[in-house]
Amino acid sequence: MGIDQVVAAVVAVVGVPLVLLGYIIVGEQVIERLPESVQGWIRPYFWALPAVGFATIFMVYPLLRTVVISFRNSADTDWIGLANYKYFFTFPDTLTSLRNSLLWLVFYTFFAVFLGLVIAILLDRVRYESLAKIAIFLPVPISAVAASIIWKFMFDYQPPGTPQTGTLNALIGLIGRDPVAWLVNSTTNNAALIFVGIWTAVGFCMVIISASLKAISSEVLEAARIDGANEFEIVRLVVTPLLWPTITVVGTTMLINALKTFDIVYVMTNGAYDTDVIATQMFSQLQHAHYGRAAAVGVVLFVAIVPLLIVNIRRFQQQEEQR
Amino acid sequence: MLLLLACSSGGGTSGGGASSTDVTVWTAWGGDELKAFKDVLAPFQSSTGIKVHLTTNRDSTNQLANGIAAGTDLPDIAPGPTDPIQVKSWVSKGALKSIETALGSDAFKAYVDNTYPALTTAPGGASDDPYIGIIGGKHYVLMVKTQVKGLFWYNKKVFTGTAPKSFDELLAMNPSQYGAQKIFCAGFESGAASGWPASDQIDNIIMRQSGDQVYINWIQGKQKFTSAEIKLGYQTFLKEVSAANVYGGSNTALSTNFGKAGDPMFNTPPGCLFLEQATFIANFFHQNKGVTAGTDFDFFAHPSMGNSQYDGNVNGFYDNFAMYNDTPAARKLMQYMATKDAQQIWANDGGTLGAIKSLTYSDPIFKRAADIANSAKNLLVTAGDFMPSDMQKAFWQSLLNVTRDPGSLDKELAHLDQVQAAAYASS
Repeated sequence: MGIDQVVAAVVAVVGVPLVLLGYIIVGEQVIERLPESVQGWIRPYFWALPAVGFATIFMVYPLLRTVVISFRNSADTDWIGLANYKYFFTFPDTLTSLRNSLLWLVFYTFFAVFLGLVIAILLDRVRYESLAKIAIFLPVPISAVAASIIWKFMFDYQPPGTPQTGTLNALIGLIGRDPVAWLVNSTTNNAALIFVGIWTAVGFCMVIISASLKAISSEVLEAARIDGANEFEIVRLVVTPLLWPTITVVGTTMLINALKTFDIVYVMTNGAYDTDVIATQMFSQLQHAHYGRAAAVGVVLFVAIVPLLIVNIRRFQQQEEQR
Repeated sequence: MLLLLACSSGGGTSGGGASSTDVTVWTAWGGDELKAFKDVLAPFQSSTGIKVHLTTNRDSTNQLANGIAAGTDLPDIAPGPTDPIQVKSWVSKGALKSIETALGSDAFKAYVDNTYPALTTAPGGASDDPYIGIIGGKHYVLMVKTQVKGLFWYNKKVFTGTAPKSFDELLAMNPSQYGAQKIFCAGFESGAASGWPASDQIDNIIMRQSGDQVYINWIQGKQKFTSAEIKLGYQTFLKEVSAANVYGGSNTALSTNFGKAGDPMFNTPPGCLFLEQATFIANFFHQNKGVTAGTDFDFFAHPSMGNSQYDGNVNGFYDNFAMYNDTPAARKLMQYMATKDAQQIWANDGGTLGAIKSLTYSDPIFKRAADIANSAKNLLVTAGDFMPSDMQKAFWQSLLNVTRDPGSLDKELAHLDQVQAAAYASS
């Protein structure tokens, strides 16, 4: 079996590019013999075909297949209409996961973008900017699983009256409060999970917003100051509107992240104590071999994300046009 | 490699080909368990000259299922499925070869005679018992190791009294008499599988309180969670984990990893008297606290729930192997693993019971656990492991939820009925 895998790896790494190269070389020789007018027409399609082909096989086909499966039973033997969707929108567990995903959408997105904006603006005005930015950005490259494990330690709970090894409970112990079981208690657990998400995302938002902040000409700010605006007014009336396209892109990216949230919840609670989100729900349905239900969840998630994607792509196009 | 697989799946027609000199084996074991298995295999390989190609595969059931569905090569020997539906379907597809075939009639008789009866004999002589791999009167899994669950562990320096005769007696104990804070320690956290330690506790209650038939019906989805028996089980479980009886209260039980749950027994002053857990926990005590089995800590068996006819129900789990390709080499290895000599090596390496009754254990803990397994009327499997996986997850999480909020019991049970109806209908 080991040898088979090596062979497969070699074929994939060396073989596929070779085949593509061969396709282009041979194809070009054929095209060159065609009449000039046909050449110009056919060449773009010819060059795009492998990419379009791969996208069709690996993205479009699975997408369509998912939609089909979502209307079929778990053994994929019979059509069952909207039963999988009905399950998703009526079963108490999936409704909880919908509610939680909504919490993620609102709080994760708002705080990640808002804090990213505030930090970017504040750090723009200090001498130790790059050092502070590195500190804020550090959680970004950490994988969500590692971040979750770090925060599991931070949220650790020991019985009242014993030494608290979790940083948070040790801190609230200093002011004489009893420890809190952050991940067990329903009033704190979703907030705790979302907080971890924000912790890993703020750095990303900050970096993007900060880059766009640097692009704002200092003359504009200078002019505002001369006109008598104070610093708060400058941030509110000049900087923020100029940053708005960037904030929209970062915001929609965060919204998509919020909808896709999986790893943090899976690692820290696995959905226990009412912390399930849509993506963990989809995963458990797969695990339980309810492929139809999992596909239905996937379709719902996809439909929810599409408008955000459209907004994002429009923004990118507008930015392209402005350049 | 391809040639080898082709030969081994060809069923030894080549006579003296690769299939009689090579055997492919999958196991989920790693670490010490894998080392022990290699120790078991070493004498087999040197005496027969058969080469065992061993792969650790923690996803073997899924991969076997895919292989069987797709008709691709399977390993010669791998663990059998635990899902009863899968057991039946794999037998009907001919993917599982019977142990009767693998061992031959004499060796098979010896295997059944030597092994714990609960692992090889269906209750009441039924011809189907997929929980121990029996379909149509034939055996499809070879039992090699076993563990006993539902044992109450204690620090010998703290608890100096005698083991309680009944569960009520256990609950009525006064921990301060021994200088401990509470009767029980508990730890239900286990990452994505959180809740299973709690499920072991309620399993051990229900099988002794309402009997093996109710217990098995419940696993099979024929007994509702809101039924009087299961509800009584939950209520009894809640007494065990009530704030008055469990160290640190429910938040501690829910936030503590099962591996560390027993540590407060060895603190000064001790946090609790007892931890309910399976035989494997002895290794954790040793690793975490440097204490030695037999001299520092010991256990007593699960006390009676007051229903003496069910006292012989014992909760255990087992490791097994099934044969997927009937080759001469695979048969030889199956025959070898069924022998006392092979299983004694497992017993010597420690940390587990073998499946054969007459093994000798140098560790006093396992010696006594073997007695419990031996005297068991029914060795019953762990409920959650044999429920559909969505049922299992909901069951585990319900135990966490009621531990946190005992007032939610009725709501939780009603919800479990809902999950049960959906989970078994689709499976």
